[in-house]
Amino acid sequence: MTCRRVRKLLPLYAGDDLGPRRGRAVQTHIDRCPSCRQELGEFRAALAEIRAAAKEEGGPDWSEGEWTALMARIRPAASEAIRPLGLAWPRWAAASVLGAFLGLAVLSMLFRDRAPGPQQASPAAGPDVVSLTLVSQKTGLQVVWFLDKNFDYKGEQE
Amino acid sequence: MRMNETEKELVTMVLSGRTEAFEPLVSPFRQPLLALAFRLTRNREDALEIAQESLLRAFRSLRRYDVSRSFRNWLFQIAANEARDRFRKGAREKAAFNDIVGRAPAAADPEAGCEKQELRSNIMRSLDALSPREREVFVLRDLEELDIKATARALGCSSVSVRVSLSSARRKIREAIRQDFAHLEEGR
Repeated sequence: MTCRRVRKLLPLYAGDDLGPRRGRAVQTHIDRCPSCRQELGEFRAALAEIRAAAKEEGGPDWSEGEWTALMARIRPAASEAIRPLGLAWPRWAAASVLGAFLGLAVLSMLFRDRAPGPQQASPAAGPDVVSLTLVSQKTGLQVVWFLDKNFDYKGEQE
Repeated sequence: MRMNETEKELVTMVLSGRTEAFEPLVSPFRQPLLALAFRLTRNREDALEIAQESLLRAFRSLRRYDVSRSFRNWLFQIAANEARDRFRKGAREKAAFNDIVGRAPAAADPEAGCEKQELRSNIMRSLDALSPREREVFVLRDLEELDIKATARALGCSSVSVRVSLSSARRKIREAIRQDFAHLEEGR
């Protein structure tokens, strides 16, 4: 391995984050290259320095009041968050079911009102008479045609 | 580090509706979680908000928790995501990353003002040289001592991506320490 290649790998090697094969190759180079060895030493020293500083710093802790307040916030959330498994539907499933219901409702309304097919017979018509209701989508005008059983035109009603 | 039996029992209790078991479940991690958030933000108020939100999220998502994983790492993953969401929103990013110089550490310390503490704080400020991604990776791998795989899992990225960011982060940290604390290097 060349120095250039090794120096690219030194940051990871310094923290033991290279695989065994590349690690061995870097170590072989380090053993015989004082300048790369020095650079490795600097990486390790910097890491040790910041780790020690982090350990000493420790970081902040919660005050008892902050912790108690958080735990108190969690309790009321319990009823909505921890539900029995059967009720814990994913959002997409609930949305799909709702969408399907809405779609069916819209379709049934459309076809009930607009289909120009046979409708119920006129009260005046006999059992062998059928009616067709035609509705203009532009004006809303309705015309009902009455046909006999041979589909001969028998009259109309607006 | 896998979940231990006590943690498993506590998770089961919470999921069965005994929510009072949540506090003993997360109590051992209350300080480490806040410390992680603090290392990611260098601001106690932001860190506290992130830690609080992370625990609320953990509570709400407990059913999705995979018990084969370390509970601590799972909490850290939530906190890292929470911190990243905040950075992305951008409202406090500048303050969190650029407005550090001159800010006293928030944690009360009886040794405040002494030389050692100042040196320690200055060393920790070398984290400011890192990008948000590099900082996440560096904090989780080098300060919280997660391995590469666990770090990748916590951040939702590949091990290769973690190695790339980690390499760059260590290079910047070494450079910052070498420039600002040459006397430490010389003393070795």
